[in-house]
Amino acid sequence: MLIIRPLQETDLDDLYAMTQKAGKGLTTLPADQGLLQRKISLARETFNQSCAPEAGLYLFALEDTEAGKLVGISGIQARVGLDEVFYNYRLSETVNASKELGVHVRTPTLHLTNDMTDTSEICSLLLSSDYQGGGNGLLLSRCRFMYMDEFRKYFSEKVFAEMRGVSDEQGLSPLWDALGRKFFDMKYTEADMLSGLGNKAFIAELMPKFPIYLPMLPDSARAVIGQVHGNTAPALKMLQAEGFNFNGLVDIFDGGPVVEAFVRTIRTIRDSSNRYAMITSKAVNLDVPAAERVMVSNRSFRNFRVTTVPASCVHTDTVTLPPAVAEALQIESGDLVRLAPLKDRVKTSVKTTG
Amino acid sequence: MWLVRPALPDDVDQILEIAGAAGSQTARLSSTLPRQRDVLAEKIDHSIASLACNITSGDGRPKRFLFVLQSTSTGRIHGTAGIDARAGNSQPFYNYRRDALIHASHELGISSRVDVLYPSHALTDQTLLCSFSITPELRNTEAFELLSRARILFIAGHRDWFTSNIAVEIQGVQLADGSVPFWDSLGRHFFNMDFETADQYSGLLSKTFIAELMPPNPIYVTLLSEAAQAALGQPHEQTVPNLELLQREGFRAGCYLDIFDGGPVLEARTDALRTLVTSQPKTLHGAFEECGDTWLISAGEGSGFRCTLARVANTLEGTLKVPVGVWEALGKTAGDEVRIAPC
Repeated sequence: MLIIRPLQETDLDDLYAMTQKAGKGLTTLPADQGLLQRKISLARETFNQSCAPEAGLYLFALEDTEAGKLVGISGIQARVGLDEVFYNYRLSETVNASKELGVHVRTPTLHLTNDMTDTSEICSLLLSSDYQGGGNGLLLSRCRFMYMDEFRKYFSEKVFAEMRGVSDEQGLSPLWDALGRKFFDMKYTEADMLSGLGNKAFIAELMPKFPIYLPMLPDSARAVIGQVHGNTAPALKMLQAEGFNFNGLVDIFDGGPVVEAFVRTIRTIRDSSNRYAMITSKAVNLDVPAAERVMVSNRSFRNFRVTTVPASCVHTDTVTLPPAVAEALQIESGDLVRLAPLKDRVKTSVKTTG
Repeated sequence: MWLVRPALPDDVDQILEIAGAAGSQTARLSSTLPRQRDVLAEKIDHSIASLACNITSGDGRPKRFLFVLQSTSTGRIHGTAGIDARAGNSQPFYNYRRDALIHASHELGISSRVDVLYPSHALTDQTLLCSFSITPELRNTEAFELLSRARILFIAGHRDWFTSNIAVEIQGVQLADGSVPFWDSLGRHFFNMDFETADQYSGLLSKTFIAELMPPNPIYVTLLSEAAQAALGQPHEQTVPNLELLQREGFRAGCYLDIFDGGPVLEARTDALRTLVTSQPKTLHGAFEECGDTWLISAGEGSGFRCTLARVANTLEGTLKVPVGVWEALGKTAGDEVRIAPC
């Protein structure tokens, strides 16, 4: 069974192996054991409530319970820019016009901003390649929205995601080469690594502070502003289906877009509902296609767990769960659980009451 | 003999020829020398009014002067040179100021110098030498030197009209095909017109269009094209003799650049200009034959200003022996005051 649970100390080795395989381009999860260890510790503090929940880093693990190993990770940073400075470029328009000459020129311009400060970010999504498909990516991503809805007060009204921008096989980013590199004198992957390692202060110190007029950049760089990496297109599509939209901000390194949504309008949240768990001794065939499954979660802050069950288990007021699932979710009969569709269009009765 | 005198309304046609010829050599020699008859006629009128009045040109506008280089034997005009008493002429005078920022990261041990171009009006209202053009065959001749330096002698004789610092814009790099690398990398994107058009507008129109179209924020030099970066502060090769002459005069390139072509703006302290410092008042006397060294010699106030080159013989009494032909060119006679400067 695949189950979502809070990341824990014992996940370090599996996580490190996974990040090593993933390679470059995953800013927030570089293959660095010390850094991963720090992230796990932060997540543990968050779930143990030894730090303010509004400042927490919520990291969830996708565990294959049969294999007993970590196969995916996803996270929520409750607030960005609280103790470091969070940078983006805002893609805006400068218009210069002269009536006398009949000239009206629009110049797309990048302004350095800290506009996302104090906003919740979904981040750090990584799924082992052996487990891709079958709705696992959806579970890993969408479980976060169930958690956010459950503990809405700890998160901001809006949530955003930074999408990976365009770079080639060698890890070269056209925007970085045309812009950042001229100020940093280091390779994109190095800079991105430093950023991921938490050396974010250097950005403030070395980045150009004045607006950048896009016509002064080469076409190759302009073309990738607001564009996502090919590998990230499915993730973008998934977020768009949830109601996320490009908000006009782009990553300062690779130009990847920032997409955002109001938490209350996120589809998983709108379509979710509560049911009482009924533990059944009857056999339930859990092995059904992703389109016919729904996510089911407990409502625990410290020990949040999510898995999927066939939509046929869902009834008007209850959801029927086999004992193994109830055990995995750490619930008992009669407990209230939360349900949400796994796929975008699912024929279930989930919506009927709530 | 070569004579420099204030431009007159009848000079329009000949000046237009020079301005046109300058254009046909692909290099503009001076955007402040208009190629339109009515604009040029207006400029000459303004100069005449400026010479006639004491403080301003008479209608409250700052003084602007235009001089011509004339051959006394043929009467033909071979060049022009101007002075704007106040750069910008009551409007903002635009430049880029080249400045540097240090982007340093203590954490990473990195410190890098970032060159930035800031839009600037700092030179507004400073005296500006401008409108210099000369027919090609006279480049690098003594007539060339006379035309340029006569202005300094004019300033020496009318010092109150001018500011304590003085500037001159040197034409920047333009390639054989007429393109201007600095413009193509920067201004073109915002003005949406070619260099030639913008340059003409800048000579013709009020500077409002520059305020309207010029990017308001500083520009990072590193984001300019390589050709544009190489052109920053560099003179057009045709202007090198002029540049060298001005450098001998005491002008130095500072941090200001032309906003259109990136050419250098030279600056100097007016009272330190070589021609001004080395010039001396003398009393005119006759000589029967030419003898002595060649000097710049100027005389006359306002519209009566004349300047020429002549071999003069100094006497110990502060008088100057000059052939009578030169008296006539200067419009002076024995006993009149003149000012001379060594060549």
